[in-house]
Amino acid sequence: MEQIAGFEDNRLHLALTQSAQGDGLAFAELVREHRSMVFSIAYHFLQDRSLAEDLAQEVFLELYQSLDRIQSPAHLTHWLRRVTANRCIDQGRRKQRRPELALEEAPEPVEPSAIGDPLLLERLRQSLAVLPEKQRMVVILRFQEGLGPAEIADVLEMPVNTVKSTLHRTLADLRKTLTRKIREVRYAFF
Amino acid sequence: MHFSEDDLQQALKRKDPGEGFTQRVMARVEQAKAEPRPVPEKAKKSNGALLAWWKLRPAWIVALAAVLLAGFALGGYQYSEYRHRETARQEQQRLEQARQEREQAERARDQAILALQIARSKLNHVLERAQLPVESNDKIRRQRL
Repeated sequence: MEQIAGFEDNRLHLALTQSAQGDGLAFAELVREHRSMVFSIAYHFLQDRSLAEDLAQEVFLELYQSLDRIQSPAHLTHWLRRVTANRCIDQGRRKQRRPELALEEAPEPVEPSAIGDPLLLERLRQSLAVLPEKQRMVVILRFQEGLGPAEIADVLEMPVNTVKSTLHRTLADLRKTLTRKIREVRYAFF
Repeated sequence: MHFSEDDLQQALKRKDPGEGFTQRVMARVEQAKAEPRPVPEKAKKSNGALLAWWKLRPAWIVALAAVLLAGFALGGYQYSEYRHRETARQEQQRLEQARQEREQAERARDQAILALQIARSKLNHVLERAQLPVESNDKIRRQRL
């Protein structure tokens, strides 16, 4: 397992070095490797497929212009997360609107959900979409990217304790919001 | 309604934008490569004389640093001198004020002593008159009349 990870790391390191020297194919490999991460952060934050794709493209374009400053694959991942998070928060502040999901924009799951209630997951996404920007990003980084509080603090340039309290508060808020929504649905039916 | 961390992870599962995404990114990169990089306004202005000046960097930087250092040193010295003069002037003003107050106090004391001396002499005089026998008082009164 460690060997595979080491091989992956070497491959990415090589792609990074070659990209910095202007190799387009190597850069395409870097994009392929990280596109789902960047796109998903943007998509879960903005809840708008086209906006998320546009933002993700801009992030990669910025990466292309900053390749000489990236030192390692780990640095690249961290850089991408930080730039994407900052751009998402800026975009969210500029727009300050509720997401409008057209049918054709609705995300297509890569694979059918093996576990979990689809209704619950949809409600979770909806509740997440109305959270304040920073809280939303903390939850996305925690549960999409599986980062710990210290790593989230590093990406968002926040104190670790603030991340911990934000996470705690946000989960409590989500539980409250979900309970309220389910009650509303029940009242509507019965 | 309760949800677990697994539910959140499931809701926030990564989504792949598809291979078309990479192609679109590469197209944008190619487009960006083809376009000349926008030169910042400041750099445009500074292309001429400033660039030529910048080529003489080491000598100019040393000279500029020396001038700045000398300027700071002179400024610091001037400022300390100014502070010293200002402190001396304030001290002198304070002493002058204290001297004037002392003089005023001494004048007031002298006047008070004089007033007390006058009052004492008047009282002595009245006391002397009061102690004289009644006949002599009458004599004095008649003389006055």
